[in-house]
Amino acid sequence: MRFTKKMAAALVIAAAMSTAFAQKIEVIGAGASFPAPLVTAMADQYRTLTDGRVTVNYQSIGSGGGIRQFGEQTIMFGMTEAFLNDEIVEEVEKKTGGRAFNMPITLADVVVTYNVPGVKEGVVFNGEVLADIFLGKIKKWNDKNIQALNKSIKLPNLNITVVHRSDGSGTTNIWTSYLTKVSKEWADKIGYATSVNWPVGVGAKGNEGVAGVVMNTPGALGYNSYAYALLNKISYGYLINKSGNTIKPNFEATSEAANIDLPEDTRIIFTDTPAAQGYPVAGFTWMLVYENLEKNKAIKSKNEAEELIKFLIWAITDGQGLSERLGYAKLPKAAVDKNKAMIRELKWNGEEIGKKILG
Amino acid sequence: MRSLRSRYARDNVVLVFIILNTVAVLIPLFIILGYVIVQGFNYISLDLFTKELGSPTRNMMGEPTGLVHTIIGTAVVDIMAVLISIPFGIGAGVMLSEYPDHWANPILRVLNDTLNGMPAVLKGLLAFVLVVKPMGSFSGLSGGVALAFVMFPIIARATESALMNIPWSIREAGLAIGLPRWRVILSTIIPAAKVGLVTGFLIAFARAAGEAAPLVFTSFGNNYLPVKWTGWIFGPVDTLPQRLYNLAISPYEHWHGMGWAAAIILLAVITASFAAARFFIRDKKQE
Repeated sequence: MRFTKKMAAALVIAAAMSTAFAQKIEVIGAGASFPAPLVTAMADQYRTLTDGRVTVNYQSIGSGGGIRQFGEQTIMFGMTEAFLNDEIVEEVEKKTGGRAFNMPITLADVVVTYNVPGVKEGVVFNGEVLADIFLGKIKKWNDKNIQALNKSIKLPNLNITVVHRSDGSGTTNIWTSYLTKVSKEWADKIGYATSVNWPVGVGAKGNEGVAGVVMNTPGALGYNSYAYALLNKISYGYLINKSGNTIKPNFEATSEAANIDLPEDTRIIFTDTPAAQGYPVAGFTWMLVYENLEKNKAIKSKNEAEELIKFLIWAITDGQGLSERLGYAKLPKAAVDKNKAMIRELKWNGEEIGKKILG
Repeated sequence: MRSLRSRYARDNVVLVFIILNTVAVLIPLFIILGYVIVQGFNYISLDLFTKELGSPTRNMMGEPTGLVHTIIGTAVVDIMAVLISIPFGIGAGVMLSEYPDHWANPILRVLNDTLNGMPAVLKGLLAFVLVVKPMGSFSGLSGGVALAFVMFPIIARATESALMNIPWSIREAGLAIGLPRWRVILSTIIPAAKVGLVTGFLIAFARAAGEAAPLVFTSFGNNYLPVKWTGWIFGPVDTLPQRLYNLAISPYEHWHGMGWAAAIILLAVITASFAAARFFIRDKKQE
């Protein structure tokens, strides 16, 4: 009896000591610039929650850079607004004997930003009109097609200056995929990608570049991530979605758009969503993780792999609480569930550590 | 022959022309300096030098945020770059100037000029392949190597021209009293060319200290202090030019301000190193 008591005491002390001397862990990730503010905010809070034990270092190097460094295995997780294509997925499978998971971590929504003197937020557009503007067929703000959607606003006789991204961009990918879905002419002539051959308009680098040109050019019309328009107080338009409802960009409408039947690997584009109250120009931002974590050279111990999984779980659950204040929509339940299914598959040398941690 | 008066007149015209040109060159410099200081001054605070950056929410929630890890990181990476590039740079310069007949010199000169003209981002990629890939992680060391590639050709060139300016008679004098060639170079030529060497080194340092591109895929960046002290060398490290860029393109007003403040710090670091090196040379001369 006394023996067991002593043992218990020793165990308690040992446990206390092991937490006191627990190794500090650095989780390193990189990729898309769009979710960087959110992920760094998550990192900050997670660090506080773990008493400084786990530091998540996320650097924004762009979606392309994120995919690239994920493949080079210099980072523990990547981040991208355009999901991994089949070619890369196959290559990873050949190299590591496991899958590369795309786990949705947040939602990107793209809004129409504009600068029309005397006109505030809330000019209504539909897909057809936007495609015609970006094809150069609608040239004036008081064009009858725009005016027809905005009976209560008097639009001026002003030339439209289309502003688009000059760099490869996940935002462009989402925006052009929307135009492709709503306009056959756009689909035939231009299509969608992280950068396309724009028929009209001026290019600007980055979200901030587009915002800058829009703010300084009367008559300008561009596209920005919602967070950016919100934080910089740029006027943005409302969109008529597939169901015919006029949607003011907001977080619920974005989450709603993503609340659809997701494939197991979550690799899906859901612009022009069928959801009745969903905002039509939105997409996931994915976190990239190897199924066989030990195969990623950037992860040097099982301990690091476990901490990465714990952070991942926290980020898709409690961490989502940070989203809205920063201008991001929360993940819909469907995406969280799919993420959990993928996390259960994560392994370290065959041991199912994802399942063990998630339970 | 022209009259004396017309010569004076011409002299004055040229003098005015030179002054105007000097002012024209200096105006943009002072506009840049002034603008940076005006924009960033309000963001200079104690927190900037004592706290980590963290996330943009820190400012929104009134928590302190700063660049202490960036300032230390810049010092660490730059010092590593200096330690790596100086021996090689001065060595190459000595080779070019003191052993002009060596068969390898024409190749060395061409390679050095090529390296000098190569875009800095490629030097970053080179360091990525040489250091980051084999080590399996981004590191301050690889950033130092990348910046050393930036500094090396400038130091080599400057060393060569500084040593070339020393008359051959001094070398001959040294050899005449029986000194070996390496001793002549080490004890007479290099000390005599010291001012030129330090100037070349400063130009190289200032150029490297302002480079962001080679660091993106090498020292990588960090929002926090490394968790262990070895992290400064073997882990991702933040540096001022790269952080400045990231702050500037962020959508947050407070981060824009911190970007300006980072620019002030970077300018101050470069100016201070110039002043220190100048002082160092002058001090030795007076002895």
